[in-house]
Amino acid sequence: MSQSTPPRADFGHVPVTFSSYLAEQLRAWDTLFPAERAYLERLSAYLEKAPAAMFDPLQEIERKMGVAGKWPRGRFTLEQVDFLNRNPHYPEWRAEIARLFSRIDPVLDADLAAKGRPRLVVIISPAELPVGPDRMWTRLAKQGRRVALNAPDNLDHYLPLLLTGNADPAKGRCLPSFAANRPSYATWVIETGELIGALCPTPGAVRLSYELLRGFRQRLMQEVQRITEDKTIKGPRQLSERLKTLKLHPSEAGLAGDALLGEFVRATLLAGNGTLLINNTFVEWASVQALRRARPDVLIVGFGIRNKMKPFSSMLIFHDQDRATAIPTQADMLGSYVDLEVLYQYIWQEAARRVEYRNNTAYLFTAIGMDEMHLIAPPDFPLAQPASGGRSSLAAVHEAAGKWLAG
Amino acid sequence: MRKRDFVKLAGLGIANRILPAPLYGFWQRAMEKQSPGRRVILVTFGGGVRYSETFAPEGLANIRRLAALREEGYFFRACRNEGVLSHFNSTASIVTGDWQRVDDFGFEPPASPTLFELYRKAMKAGPLDAWVIATNKSFASMGASSHRDYGPTSGANVVLPKQLLLDAVKDVARKPPDAGLARREEVLRGLENILHEGYEGVGWTIFKGGRELNRHVRETLTGALAEFINGPDAPTSGDELTFFIAREVMREFAPRLMLVNFWDMDVAHWGSYSLYLQAITRTDRLTGMLWDEIQSNKHYKDNTTLLVLPELGRDGDTDTSNGFLNHRSGDPSCRHTWLLALGAGVKGETERPIRHIDVAPTVAALLGMRAPAMSGTAAPELLR
Repeated sequence: MSQSTPPRADFGHVPVTFSSYLAEQLRAWDTLFPAERAYLERLSAYLEKAPAAMFDPLQEIERKMGVAGKWPRGRFTLEQVDFLNRNPHYPEWRAEIARLFSRIDPVLDADLAAKGRPRLVVIISPAELPVGPDRMWTRLAKQGRRVALNAPDNLDHYLPLLLTGNADPAKGRCLPSFAANRPSYATWVIETGELIGALCPTPGAVRLSYELLRGFRQRLMQEVQRITEDKTIKGPRQLSERLKTLKLHPSEAGLAGDALLGEFVRATLLAGNGTLLINNTFVEWASVQALRRARPDVLIVGFGIRNKMKPFSSMLIFHDQDRATAIPTQADMLGSYVDLEVLYQYIWQEAARRVEYRNNTAYLFTAIGMDEMHLIAPPDFPLAQPASGGRSSLAAVHEAAGKWLAG
Repeated sequence: MRKRDFVKLAGLGIANRILPAPLYGFWQRAMEKQSPGRRVILVTFGGGVRYSETFAPEGLANIRRLAALREEGYFFRACRNEGVLSHFNSTASIVTGDWQRVDDFGFEPPASPTLFELYRKAMKAGPLDAWVIATNKSFASMGASSHRDYGPTSGANVVLPKQLLLDAVKDVARKPPDAGLARREEVLRGLENILHEGYEGVGWTIFKGGRELNRHVRETLTGALAEFINGPDAPTSGDELTFFIAREVMREFAPRLMLVNFWDMDVAHWGSYSLYLQAITRTDRLTGMLWDEIQSNKHYKDNTTLLVLPELGRDGDTDTSNGFLNHRSGDPSCRHTWLLALGAGVKGETERPIRHIDVAPTVAALLGMRAPAMSGTAAPELLR
């Protein structure tokens, strides 16, 4: 259980660039998820006992970089980021930081690895993708295996069967409910639309929908537009600082009561990576951030079809694309397919590199209406071994996933 | 107004701003008589592109023109960006021959003299002999350095074509609502005016000048511009506009040294792999069209070297979160790029590593300049 107050960061034997990083993380203590707090507590405890000699190479690099006298202890501001980025020894510094973490993290992870519990990631693609199963999940082909499915004739039954085990969701049991006894922020549903959240309104689950965030997204775009027209903003970094002050209103997503999630949504939408503009980018980046920060036990991801970009849309980056030009909005099925093939990989990789997910996570890659799914799972997951009897029903997939979570 | 008229207007508008009319006429006559010295055009795949989506076997489908042209030129398989992995610093390193560590977003000019300044000073070249045409609108100060012996008076003309378009709309939007602005002709007249005025005053958004207008007029203007942009003759991306302006500059002014910065592929930041691939394919096509122009333009044919390289790569898929979206990790995928030289009189390819800062001394040597010391070294393969 993490403490309510942040641990120490001011260790005299730890080089200033490293300890400042920790201090900056701790400064945001109130907006950190329990998993993040627990990690920083373990890191702080480790650093307290770490031998000073471990940091000699970093001390030497800091000396070459000219850090002394230019770096306020305990701060890691935009000026420091600039200083590092532009320093000729930056690649060396970055490599040494990576080396240090490659030494520290296995120690911090050892305890977690011993306490692993079954986890589930379900990634659902839209029915409109213009390809068959042979062209799906190609970048993950070397991991896991295909599972042949009996897809229902009625497309509307696909999701209820997968997520609740019954074509009538009222008679089924939602997958997240199998993990109902897990800690807070253990279950996340992240989707472009509203279907999954509506099918599985699980109490305690975090629900993020690009569509439901429309009001907040539009307000953010208007605010960004207004701020960028204000000549007091010098450039992107200053803009980023200003944008941190834009908070989610209670009426805008149903999340505002939870300050932690409100900040998560704001940061995700303003990450500068197209999350405001492209539904699938939002879903992918929110999923990656949830995995990185909250480490959920159950993550259900629902992708959609993105719209075609309109000519010169990059000029109108902070305008509502539906209204910025007179050209009708059109769905881009093929483009969405190409995008998703990469995004599946990025989500899987993000989880796979975290100790919490190693050897105990089942990943179900499905597409609505498709009679195959891709499964990456430990050998003891019920469907992990090829079945002798041919195709599995979606209800059987649901049952296997439920049993897996129930342990 | 046809597309060609539009871009011609852009080029001429700039020339008139730079030179008084009598001088401009003189310069045009002088250009006709000039000696057939070597010319160099640098093309950057700005925004950054990974080897895997270009010259790796699986990437060749995205760059069919360059893949074919590789047989005609000299190809460096390992061109490394060892500097700051931001757009401005990367391109500034290419044009100065020194790793630049200035503001990442173009709020400071390069610290070392640029090729354009060195060339103009060393060769006593005229003001229309060195150009930068950039889609990236933070490149306004790419044409000249802050070095005390040089500066804007000896630098390149910098054209930011997308900004031309933005300013055009801004200018139109300033006019009173009863001036018939809803008509396409009026919008185009506004374009003409702003093109004659120049292109400076980088702004962030399209409606900065039009906020006082009533909503109906503003929307009508936007629609008129959209009609123009989306017409059968009009470009559909920033890079296409950059290409057309670059070609027009070549036809009208025949500069000996020009940097063309394409940048559409930076759409990768939006997280759409398909849009990123489309932008690479478009840049490949436009670069091929630039080479075609060199082959058909009497000022350039048989005396021009075209150097094409990415300003940086992008993050790899496995070592970082969200690989292609970003380009700051410093992993090999970010730093490993390539360089293709066409028209240098040599064919072949090499594994020998070169660096971005080797480009400027190579260009200096190709142009026959005695350049001051740079950190980079000229590539002997291109100087035989």
